[in-house]
Amino acid sequence: MLSAVALLAFGSTRTSDPQTQADRIDAITKVLACPTCQGESVYVSRASAAESIRAEVARQIAGGQRSDDEIIGYIEARFGSRVLLVPRSTGLDSLIWVLPVFALVCAVGTLGFAFRRWKVVGNDSISEEDAQLVERALREEQ
Amino acid sequence: MSETGSSRKRVAPIIASVVGALLVGFLWVLVTAKPNTVDDADSPLLGQPAPSVVTTTLNEEDFVLARRKGSWVIFNFFNSTCVPCVAEHSELVAFNERESTAANPAELYTVINDDNDDSVRAFFSKNGGEWQKIRDTDGAISVAFGVAKVPETWVIDPNGYVRLRIAGQLTPGLLDDQLALLKKQFGS
Repeated sequence: MLSAVALLAFGSTRTSDPQTQADRIDAITKVLACPTCQGESVYVSRASAAESIRAEVARQIAGGQRSDDEIIGYIEARFGSRVLLVPRSTGLDSLIWVLPVFALVCAVGTLGFAFRRWKVVGNDSISEEDAQLVERALREEQ
Repeated sequence: MSETGSSRKRVAPIIASVVGALLVGFLWVLVTAKPNTVDDADSPLLGQPAPSVVTTTLNEEDFVLARRKGSWVIFNFFNSTCVPCVAEHSELVAFNERESTAANPAELYTVINDDNDDSVRAFFSKNGGEWQKIRDTDGAISVAFGVAKVPETWVIDPNGYVRLRIAGQLTPGLLDDQLALLKKQFGS
């Protein structure tokens, strides 16, 4: 338990920024979709368009002028938002992040409400008829 | 028991119809949504200054797009192994012939996309086409224009602004008609 906590603390405080240029190229190309393939990242794909994008990312990193976000923005401005494998968290795209959490909260709330109701119903709802039936059965047993 | 049972009977159909309506709504969105095809000719670059293009031609001359201001420039992204590129070639040859006799002829350039010089030379010596072919080393020009798949044809106006993107194979007369419209709209 203690070691798990220690590992977690180490993992969460460790800086996750890529250090070398190659790391930065990998990190950027992993979040860009190959525009001519289905569901493949630029990092994985060997398609010509993906190779071109990878070369452009490498060129811009070597140029040292732009941050990772700016390079991703440059590619997005050319190919449109369909090249983003991870949707943006602003504008209409943010619904992708918000809706599942909203749905989960609603579902848990509804389930909690339903369970409470079932419990109440179970305690109070023995009808007169049923009570008499049980009583009769118990009497017969004696 | 009978009371809660009847209230459940009242609520259940309402919940079921809401869920049903939601599902039908989702289905409606999916059915009526416009498919995002590659042939979508929209581009964030339309109406924007054309990206900087500095490269060399197959004749080993320098090519700088910014120096072409004053003329309409047509970029045709091309690969000699791509079937629609080969299919539209006769259309480009005819277009170039017609333009060469026009008052202010548009300059047509082939942008070589992921292809080697020898294949392109062989293709043009066999199929004709006297215009300049420019190299796209590492696909930098293709990425700058957002070209993922060839052929694509781009029109840049005399002030250096991107005016039209035609994704996919050119149909007969399409480029002439579109260029005439653009010239009327933005001045020749």
